[in-house]
Amino acid sequence: MTAAFLDTGHRPRRGAAAAWVIAAALLALYAIAFASRYELRVLTFAGTQVLLVLGYQFVFGHAGALSLAQGAFYGIGAYVTAILGASYGWSFPLTFPLAIAAPTALAALVAAPVLRLSSHYFALATLGLAQVVLLAAVNGGELTGGALGISGVPSIAVLGWTLPRGLPLATLVWVVVALGAWLSHRLTRGLSGGAYGVLRGDAMAADAIGLDRPRLRFAAFLLSAGYAGAAGALSAHTIGVVSSEALEFPVMVTCLAMTVIGGSTRIAGAFLGALLLVHLPEWLRFLQGYALLAYGAALLAAIILAPEGIAGLLARTASRPRPPARPAPLPLPSRRVAGWGDSVLEARGLTKRFGGILALAAVDVTLAPGELLGIIGPNGSGKTTLANLLTGFAVADAGTIRLAGRPLEDADAAAIARAGLVRSFQTPALPPDLCALEAVAVARASRLACVGIGAALAGRDAGERRAQIEAEALGLLSQLGAQGVAPRRCAELSPAEARLVEIARALALEPRLLILDEPAAGLGDGERRDLAALLTALAHDGLALMVIEHDMEFLLPIADRVLALDQGRVIAHGAPAEIRRHPAVIAAYFGRAEGDAP
Amino acid sequence: MITAAQLVLDGVALGAAYALVALGFVLVLNAVGAVNFAQGDLVMAGGYGAAVLAGFLPLPGIVLLPVVMLLMAILGLAVAALAYFPLLRRPPSAVFISTIAIGLLLQNGALHLFGPGLRSAPPLWSGGQVTLGALALSRQSVAIIAVAAVLVLGQRLVFRHTRLGRQLRATAADREMAAALGIRVYGMIALTFAIGAALAGAAGTLLANQFFLTPTEGGNLILKAYIAVVIGGWGSIEGAVLGALLIALFETVVAAALSYTAASALLYGATLAILFLRPQGLLGEAAGRRA
Repeated sequence: MTAAFLDTGHRPRRGAAAAWVIAAALLALYAIAFASRYELRVLTFAGTQVLLVLGYQFVFGHAGALSLAQGAFYGIGAYVTAILGASYGWSFPLTFPLAIAAPTALAALVAAPVLRLSSHYFALATLGLAQVVLLAAVNGGELTGGALGISGVPSIAVLGWTLPRGLPLATLVWVVVALGAWLSHRLTRGLSGGAYGVLRGDAMAADAIGLDRPRLRFAAFLLSAGYAGAAGALSAHTIGVVSSEALEFPVMVTCLAMTVIGGSTRIAGAFLGALLLVHLPEWLRFLQGYALLAYGAALLAAIILAPEGIAGLLARTASRPRPPARPAPLPLPSRRVAGWGDSVLEARGLTKRFGGILALAAVDVTLAPGELLGIIGPNGSGKTTLANLLTGFAVADAGTIRLAGRPLEDADAAAIARAGLVRSFQTPALPPDLCALEAVAVARASRLACVGIGAALAGRDAGERRAQIEAEALGLLSQLGAQGVAPRRCAELSPAEARLVEIARALALEPRLLILDEPAAGLGDGERRDLAALLTALAHDGLALMVIEHDMEFLLPIADRVLALDQGRVIAHGAPAEIRRHPAVIAAYFGRAEGDAP
Repeated sequence: MITAAQLVLDGVALGAAYALVALGFVLVLNAVGAVNFAQGDLVMAGGYGAAVLAGFLPLPGIVLLPVVMLLMAILGLAVAALAYFPLLRRPPSAVFISTIAIGLLLQNGALHLFGPGLRSAPPLWSGGQVTLGALALSRQSVAIIAVAAVLVLGQRLVFRHTRLGRQLRATAADREMAAALGIRVYGMIALTFAIGAALAGAAGTLLANQFFLTPTEGGNLILKAYIAVVIGGWGSIEGAVLGALLIALFETVVAAALSYTAASALLYGATLAILFLRPQGLLGEAAGRRA
């Protein structure tokens, strides 16, 4: 079953693998048989730029953060190589690791404050960092050679043996490029790559499935710096001279242009973008001296016409819409949780103000395992605010929240999701560019700790393991009658379909308490009945459920208790039958239009 | 005492020009929710425009200024057409990148047209100095402050007290609501780009006499505008002007006491420190986090 899935699905298609082999062979043939010494140097330099772009893809492409420090990290790698190699006579086995370590260390140093900035401040902070590094290099006196820089960077030498420039150097650089590409592939091919897709697609979606966003961004930022350092070191060996030009903005914008034009998340994009832009002025002689002008025009054209870059265009034309991956559905392993005591949730005195408006006033909520609590109330009564406070998407002004006795007030949304308090959203929050199956599978992988750099290196997010996780994800979608949408992009789903995918995603996290915000809105009668049956069955299994819903015909038959809110206050609380007749509820829902008191 | 006053005046003159840069930046930021990274290069283009015009028409800067602003407004419309409107349905970072591309085009276009050397624009009035008691004030500094003040106040007047200004502000505040009220929002956005570029043109004309210009000057200026807007509160128009003045005073005073390099390094260091300590900016955010 698993093998059958692998054949139709995610294994690199034979066509793609063949394309890689042919391209590599052609490149090698060109380098060995045709390229002049000068052309070989250009090709070698292009290799360093591939490495630079492969690194930039982590932070810009995968994590979706517009870093403007990639050029600075590259320059630091070059300067470390030049200073240690030319001025101190250290050899490659020492300088190369240090050229990678130095920018990585700087990235780690600034990451904590910089990475929590929102996008426009992140861009400025990284730009400011790059400017400080540039000023330091220009004014570094003898150490950096000032504005003139450092010449005489030695050739690469290992244990007294010097690697000649020309073909041997080109070979070494391209071997490092191949290693870099292999590592990047390893880190991003599997569900960890999907986790980055969630992260850049929708921050709320990432929090909702308990992804550790800071950690994922941190890893991407450090990887980008490390790759840039390696690229800078190799380019210093290739060119032989390092000056402050290596730190100036043109390096950064050229890197950005190569990444956008090639494609910001595909490995082939790094190769295409770097090879193309480095060679463009060589092929088109009239462009000599106008390279940056041409890059500007190409960057503008690419961002408008081909946002996924050339690699994206090729992938689209090469593979016509494939038959969807169809792993055989698998049910989740049994979810009965032992040792839960009799209280899942105990929230007391929850209060929230927005400006002068009291959105929630000292509301208490408790839930026992297997209980289904309905929350009703007119629009603006505080239902969604209650869900937001409980799940960490808003911070309460006052009140306490305990999940199975554990205080949650100081936990962030992702930590709360990991602790087992999971929700769906009134307006579905799904990563737009992932297919529905992937969105659920990444959540499942998050629950199983199968995403992240460590998991990817250990291979826990790909191959058989991934097939298993996707089979479980499809099982969950089937449970909701939504297996048909599995291969479709989340952005193309109808609101009702997206809602079902969200519920499947929530269940993939094996929650202890599930909060659903208007799950039945927009569903047809059949789907509504199926959903009601599923929720009842889940509660029967021991899951605690809090369901916010306007539709009384849907909610009241399945709820054990109902809590009615109006203007942030609890106006009624009890069994569904009592609530239906409760005068305050009737007044809140129907009475106010007439304007009379209950 | 006198040198100190002189220094402050120089700082305020520089700040007035920076304020125009930051003003154009923040107007577009508010209107489209995205960073216009080409703003600095537009200033550079305006400076070159003034220098070139002065070659044909040997008139004082104050006469050339409206012509430069008009030409720059047209360039602003072109920027909107190329770098903003094709990207309407895309995240704000796409506009950030497309305006980086526009900046690259302007910068390298200028480099090839005019070469890497220094250029200067004509003075607003004739050069020379006015004496005020013991103070000898450069006419150009006084003129820069006066022109910038007129433009900043004029912008404020138009935005606060005219129907057009209300429509521009409504578009910036809530595009969908503005459209629902029958405002032609895309026209307003295009107009905002034009105003932003015209202000950049004015800043370029003013700066290009006092401080000379090189094709790569735009990179420094956008960084200054960006920092001014962060210090002044993201999206706040008054804050941007205030931030620009603060930056310029800081630069002038520190450069006089230490060196220009030290001034730049300290400014970037201070900006990073502000971002680290207050990730929401020094004065909080006026605009939502859309960019």
